[in-house]
Amino acid sequence: MKKVILVIMVMLVTPAIIVAQSFQLPEYTTFTLPNGLVVNLMEQKEVPVIAVNIILPAGAIYDGEKAGLASLTADALKLGTKNYTKTQLDQALDFVGANLNTFAQKEYASLYAKFAAKDKETILNLVKEILLYPTFDETEFEKEKNRALVAIDRQKESPRSIIPSYFDFLIYGNHVYGNIPQGTAASLGALKTSDLKAFYNANYIPNGSAMSIVGDFSSKEMKAMITKLFSEWKKSSSDKDNLASKPLPKISESKVLLVNKDDAKESTFYIGSQGINRNNPEFVDISIINTLFGGRFTSMLNDELRVNSGLTYGARSSFEPLKYGGSFAISTFTANETTEAALDKAFEVLNTLHSKGLDEQSLASAKNYVKGQFPPKYETVSQLSGLLGEMFWYDLDKSYINNFQKKVDVLDLKKANEIIETYFPKDHLQLVIIGKASEIKAIAEKYGKVIETEINTYPQM
Amino acid sequence: MKKMIFLFLLAAFQLGNAQMKVDDVKTFVLENGMKFLVVEDFSIPNANMYLFYKVGSRNEYQGITGLSHFFEHMMFNGAKKYGPKMFDQTMEFNGGSNNAYTTQNVTVYTNWFPASAAEVMFDLESDRIADLSIEPSMVESERGVVLSERRTGLENSPWRQLSESVQATAFKEHPYHWSVIGYEDDMKNWTQSDLERYFKTYYAPNNCVVIVSGALKFETVKALAEKYMAPIPSQPEPPKVHSVEPPQTGERRITEQREVATPYLMVSYHTPETQHEDYYALNMLSSVLGSGQSSRLYSELVDKKQLATQVFTSFGTSFDPNLFSIGAVANKNVDESDLENAIYMEIDKIKTDGITENELQKIKNQKLMEFYNQVETINGKSNTLGTYELFFGDYKKMFSAPENYNKVTVKDVQEVAKKYFSKSNRTVGVLKSNVEN
Repeated sequence: MKKVILVIMVMLVTPAIIVAQSFQLPEYTTFTLPNGLVVNLMEQKEVPVIAVNIILPAGAIYDGEKAGLASLTADALKLGTKNYTKTQLDQALDFVGANLNTFAQKEYASLYAKFAAKDKETILNLVKEILLYPTFDETEFEKEKNRALVAIDRQKESPRSIIPSYFDFLIYGNHVYGNIPQGTAASLGALKTSDLKAFYNANYIPNGSAMSIVGDFSSKEMKAMITKLFSEWKKSSSDKDNLASKPLPKISESKVLLVNKDDAKESTFYIGSQGINRNNPEFVDISIINTLFGGRFTSMLNDELRVNSGLTYGARSSFEPLKYGGSFAISTFTANETTEAALDKAFEVLNTLHSKGLDEQSLASAKNYVKGQFPPKYETVSQLSGLLGEMFWYDLDKSYINNFQKKVDVLDLKKANEIIETYFPKDHLQLVIIGKASEIKAIAEKYGKVIETEINTYPQM
Repeated sequence: MKKMIFLFLLAAFQLGNAQMKVDDVKTFVLENGMKFLVVEDFSIPNANMYLFYKVGSRNEYQGITGLSHFFEHMMFNGAKKYGPKMFDQTMEFNGGSNNAYTTQNVTVYTNWFPASAAEVMFDLESDRIADLSIEPSMVESERGVVLSERRTGLENSPWRQLSESVQATAFKEHPYHWSVIGYEDDMKNWTQSDLERYFKTYYAPNNCVVIVSGALKFETVKALAEKYMAPIPSQPEPPKVHSVEPPQTGERRITEQREVATPYLMVSYHTPETQHEDYYALNMLSSVLGSGQSSRLYSELVDKKQLATQVFTSFGTSFDPNLFSIGAVANKNVDESDLENAIYMEIDKIKTDGITENELQKIKNQKLMEFYNQVETINGKSNTLGTYELFFGDYKKMFSAPENYNKVTVKDVQEVAKKYFSKSNRTVGVLKSNVEN
């Protein structure tokens, strides 16, 4: 017993040093082209590489009735441009070892590229071609659509990768945040190049987009190069309807979406509800509490479900914040026969968080942990360009980085317990289980009204 | 060769002394045989410690399969000074996080922490290397954890199921026959004495290489190593793995059933260990076939012929001769035998006509980017240095790698394709839903 106390005292002394090493966002410059494109430039010269992150208001929230449209449009940008066929693009990028990807998420679409500094002219010219002059070639489109359809079919092969879509579908209902970014077999099958062109024209616009470039270059030269390349990108005159800002559906009862997978040997599940916006002023406080609850190895969830009981390889919780809403979910998996034990345990841990709150020792540990793990998140040119893109999209300023330590330091126990009450859901919890329905249906009914569906299909709600 | 060196000099010139060079790695060996590689890097106020133990599933035998991996888990379950749960609790309290992984060849422990907490890390690591306690109750709950790890891997990945089966078919005698996670029945039957013997044999300072990168001075690391690691006694050298897989004398084929959308295909050839002279040429062959959408297999099978929706090659690092694998997922309504034959056509083209100078230069350019990516983070530095030190026999080979790739000629790539890609040297695995016809 004494030994343990001694160790804890040592622990309390050491972290004081951590505070002294604060992490600051490196200097960068921002300018806006006449067409509205925001450009961030940050010089980082440790390694001769450059990362480009472009964020565009072209996410799945604009899919309308055509689920998967944003995603397929983003993929199709690389299928050929005014001056390059798909094959020529692939060869040009691969030859210099460059990485260039386009993809759409729920709220926005992105172009990400990383390449050697000496190739900046070549690659930025290709970025321009892909972004401004895609041709949506008919033949290449049919091939891409076909691959996407097989990928949709294959989702049934991995419960872990498909469960987030089911959870969002359950908690966001008819709100655009409930859109299924990858689409369904039926919705994808119906898409034509004319749909993609219309979506592209409406949503791939410079006003409302940002380009963040980080790496080994001179800002002055880069500014001239970007201005020359991207000034001809036409501004959109029509205002976009702010679909995501519409109110989220009210959650008033516990529901269980039971997704049947006949050959399942384990149950994969999410428990949660709606969460927070990314620009919530208490974002840092919430992430500290979540670290304790389900965000690290010694978290309450992992400790109970893995370490103490051996029910699973891992249990965690996370907030997925968006611009006008967000989700919170506990996630884990367990063998078919321990489904009930694991579910009960997960609910119990959440109840404990509410009923017992936190203590000084664990709060101090979580604060040290988030501070200690913060700097490596922004170490590479890719991470930094991603951060600048995120700051643009969610209207965050430098203080998110520069005041991070301060914000962590001021969180006290009283505030922490208020955060739990305010932001960690307790009632009307929503549950998605992917597993063998014939074995677990009776268990599912314990937790709320059960809605059943087969894997890879979505029920009428 | 000259061109690449020139490029490196140029890069170094432009960057002042910012880029990592071989001289930036400093080393020392403790009297007990524990070797340290240290890289000072003050770009962020953090550091890491990677411990590479030379033990993996190749050191097991039937009856204790999966034990190396299970042991990796047990290393977090309590020692003399820091009891059960204390390792993780102490590390996280001090701002650090950790993980570990086990392969066929090695077990690697990784700690990431604010540099100011370095001493705590040394204290934690030395405690478990010197005095691990193997509590029977912890063994039982951890058994549930690894069984769940095995189950969830299979549940979520058809590749896991197929590649384990191909591996088991390609290797009949060598321990690469079984998977790292092990057989379910072995996992349920490890005994206390198995665990204790494993610890004593393999978790010795002389069987470990430690890499520390980050905001720590070499002298600081050395002093901490002397204080915490030097008192741990060395052990006799672990027994050598004597099994040598006999040459394969004919094609082997296996089929696996699973509810999948379209068939999965894997074709694997026996290839030599990492220190073999053919390594660099084989690695480049792997890139020519599978790296990027302009690669031979992607452009022909996915793009042009539309026989597959995905294709990849895999050729890793290994102490003993292992496999060069090609994996592909069939497109809808494609017979997997057509896909298989199309793969052989691509291989035959290289055997007959070789690759082009343009392809060779492309791969060399990609290798340079790969190097940049590795040295961009302190974690990339530690992991790559450890990999070169163990698998190539010398961390310095990390810095000569671009030069070694540059020596490879078009003819070398063609020669290794001819040498290893023969029908009698391959194992073919198919995973599909209907296996009856």
